[in-house]
Amino acid sequence: MALLQISEPGKKSINPKVKLAVGIDLGTTNSLISSGYLGDVEIFPDSSGHVLLPSVVQYRQDAQPIVGEKAKMEILVDPENTVTSIKRLMGLSASETQNLPQFEQYTFDSSRGDESPVIITRAGRKDPIQISADILSGLLARIHSAIDEDIEGAVITVPAYFNDAQRQQTKEAANLIGLSVLRLINEPTAAAVAYGLDSNEDGNTIVFDLGGGTFDVSLLCLKRGVFEVLATGGDTSLGGDDFDYVLSDWMSERVFDHGQATLKERGELIAYANSVKHELSLHNSVSLSFNEWRGTLDSVEFATICEPYIKRMINACRRVLRDASLSKEEIDNIVLVGGSTRMPIIREAVESFFEKPPLTNIDPDKVVAMGAGLQAEVLVGNKSASDFLLLDVNPLSLGIETMGELVEKIIPRNTTIPVAKAQEFTTFKDGQTSMVVHVVQGERELVSDCRSLAKFELGGIPKMVAGAAKIRVTFQVDADGLLSVVAEELSTKKKSEVQVKPSFGLSANAVEEILNSSHKNAKLDLDVRALREAQIEAKQLIDAIKAAKEGDGDLLEESDSGRIESLVHQLSEKIPNGTSQEIREMTELLNQITSDFAASRMDRYVGQALKGEAIDEIDQ
Amino acid sequence: MQSIKKNFFELFGLPISFDVDVESLSEKYHELQKEFHPDASSLETEIEKMRSVQFTSFVNEAYNTLKSPIKRAGYFLTTQGFDTENVSQNELDMDLLLEQMQLREKIAELPKDDSAMPALANLKQDVKQKLLIQQSSFADDARSEKYKSAKKTFHELQFLYKLLSEIEENEERRLEY
Repeated sequence: MALLQISEPGKKSINPKVKLAVGIDLGTTNSLISSGYLGDVEIFPDSSGHVLLPSVVQYRQDAQPIVGEKAKMEILVDPENTVTSIKRLMGLSASETQNLPQFEQYTFDSSRGDESPVIITRAGRKDPIQISADILSGLLARIHSAIDEDIEGAVITVPAYFNDAQRQQTKEAANLIGLSVLRLINEPTAAAVAYGLDSNEDGNTIVFDLGGGTFDVSLLCLKRGVFEVLATGGDTSLGGDDFDYVLSDWMSERVFDHGQATLKERGELIAYANSVKHELSLHNSVSLSFNEWRGTLDSVEFATICEPYIKRMINACRRVLRDASLSKEEIDNIVLVGGSTRMPIIREAVESFFEKPPLTNIDPDKVVAMGAGLQAEVLVGNKSASDFLLLDVNPLSLGIETMGELVEKIIPRNTTIPVAKAQEFTTFKDGQTSMVVHVVQGERELVSDCRSLAKFELGGIPKMVAGAAKIRVTFQVDADGLLSVVAEELSTKKKSEVQVKPSFGLSANAVEEILNSSHKNAKLDLDVRALREAQIEAKQLIDAIKAAKEGDGDLLEESDSGRIESLVHQLSEKIPNGTSQEIREMTELLNQITSDFAASRMDRYVGQALKGEAIDEIDQ
Repeated sequence: MQSIKKNFFELFGLPISFDVDVESLSEKYHELQKEFHPDASSLETEIEKMRSVQFTSFVNEAYNTLKSPIKRAGYFLTTQGFDTENVSQNELDMDLLLEQMQLREKIAELPKDDSAMPALANLKQDVKQKLLIQQSSFADDARSEKYKSAKKTFHELQFLYKLLSEIEENEERRLEY
C-alpha cells in the first residue's frame, strides 16, 4: 500500500467496529465535548446535565485541580490560584503577557522573557499547556463516565486565526494527557460543517464567530459534499471579554471618579460588567449600581462604547470577502457562532452589513463542538469522506527573512492546504558557506512585525561567488496546518530541515519527559520501538511494491525492475537483524527509486478516478 | 519530488488550452480531493501519509493555477515552451507603462484615511475593466496560436494585477487602525 495510498471508498467498513472519537471545543470561556459513538453526534454533559464546562481551573495544595463550574465559583474567592481565559495566553511569550490587564491577579515567573509564561500557583508552576491539559482532562471525564472504551482520538477546534505556535501548543496540551489528536480544525469551519450537514444546501456561508477571547470570520463554499474554505480572517486579541473590559472601564471612570480601584474592586467590576452585558441582551436599558454609585445604561450608549470593536469586526468581514473575491450579495447564509453573538448589538451590526438576517437555529454554544465531532467520525473511519470532505486554508502568510530584514512570502494566506511551495534563494557574499533560514508568519513586510517561527542554518554550501549558489527552500503545510521547512543547496544536495516548533514553550524533550514521568510503569523502550517501526515500515513498502508490480508491472522498465528487485531482496534480508537506522536508510532508498514507478501509477489512477472507474484492484 | 507525471491540464483531464470552464474544473477538483485527500483514506504508514500530502498539495497547486486567469495564462505559456519569468523592454507597450505610472501616482496622492475609499473603489473598477479586455485578447491570441503576442499581453496582465493588488493593499491599510 505504501507505493500508492489509494483505498477505495467504503473500505473502512471492512471493520464494522465503531471507534470512539471525540470532538472538542476548547474555548476561552467554556469548553465542550461531543461524540458520535452512541449514534448521532451529541454533546456530552456532566453528571448534573451541564453541557458547558467553564474553562476555569483552580489549583489546590496536594490535591487534584478543580475544573469547571466549581472552579468558576472560586474566581473571586481565590483569584491567584484560579485560572481563567488561559486560551488567550496560548502561544504568547511571558513578555507579551505582561501587558494584558485581565491576567494581573496572577503571579507570573518574571524571569521567563521570550519563553512561555508560567503562573506560580500554590500547586506549583503552571504554563498554558498544562492548564489547557487540565481542562481537557475535565472534558474527557464526561466521556469516561458514559462510555467504557478507549478514546481513539480527538478533533480539537482552534480559532482560524491561531498561528503555528498556538496550534502546536494546543496539540501539546492533548499529548500531555495522552490524548491523540486526529486533527486540529478551525472553529468557524467546524460550525459551518454542523450547519451544512444540517441543512444540506449548497452555497456560500459566512461564519461570524465571536467567542470569549477570540474573533474569527470565515467564508466557506459547500458544493457536492465538499466544504471548501475560501478565506478566513479575524483577530486573536479580540473577543466577547473585551466588551466586559471596556464596559468595566466605562463604569470605573464613573464609580471611582478617575481614582484607583483596588485589584479586588476591579475584579468585581469586570464580573459586574459581564452581568450587565448579559442583561442588555434581554432588555433595552439597565439600571446600574456598584457600591454607592447608581446609573443607567441603554443599548444605544452601549453600542457607542463598543463601537471601535464592532468596527474592527466588520472590517475583518470586508477583508475576508475581498480575499475570496466575492461580494456581499453572493453570500447565501450567515452563521453566528459563540456565546457573544447573542448580544443584540453584534447581531444588528452583522445584519446591517450583510443586509441579511443571520441563521441561529443551532445553539451557538454547541455548534463548534458538534462540527468537530462530525469531522472526528470521518477521520476514524466511522463515516466516509465521500459524505463530506473539508478543504481548509492556512490563515496567515508564511515566509522567510531576506536581506534588509524583509519578509519574502512563500505561502500566502488563504491557500488551500495541504500545500507545498518551493522558492530559490542565493548567497549574497563571495565564498559564503552557510545561510540562516528564518521562518516567519504574518502579513507585514518587516520581519520584526511578523511572528518568528523558527531559525535554522544550512551549512556546507560550496565556496562560490555571490549569487552563484542556488538554495531551494521548500515549505510544506500539512492538513493540520502545521509547517515543515526544508532548505537544500542544489549543487551539493546538502539538506537541512525543521519541523516548525514554537521557539518558546515546552521543548519536545520536555514534553517527553513529562509523558514519561506520568507513565512511569509503562516506560517505552525507545530503541526497541524505533526498530519495530522501521521493520514494519520496510515490510509494508516491500509488500506494496510486490502488489504494485503484479497490478501495474507494465509501467515498469526492465532495468528498473531489476534494480528494485535486488534492493527488495537486500532489504528483506536486513529486516530481521539490521539496526533501525540501516533499515530506515535502505527503506528510504527503495522508496526513492520506486517514486518514478509510483508517479506512473498515480497518473493511471487519476485518469481512472476522473472517468469514475472502479479502482478496487489498486490496493491489492 | 513530484508525485505524478501529468501536467496541470492533464491532471484534470483537460486539453492544453487557455479556455477552461472553471465550474467543471472545480467539479473535477472535488472528485480528485474526495479520492486522494489525506482524510479520504485510512492511511497507516508514514510513507502513505507523506505521499498523500504531496499529491494533494500538487492537486491544490494545479487547481489554484488553472482557476486564476493570470496564473493559467502564465502556465499555459510555459507549456508552449516560453519563459514567463523574463521579459525584455521591447516586449512591452510604452504607452501602457506610462499609464500605469500615472495610475500609481494617483494612488499615492490620495488621502491616507478612509475618505479615500470611494476613489480607490473607482480605480479598482477601471483596472478590472482593463483586465477583462486584456484577458479576452490573450484568449484570442492563444486560440489562434499567436504566442508572441500572447506573451506580450500576459506581461501587461501582470502589470494590471500588480496594480490591482496595490489598490487592495491601500484599501486594507485604510481599514486598519
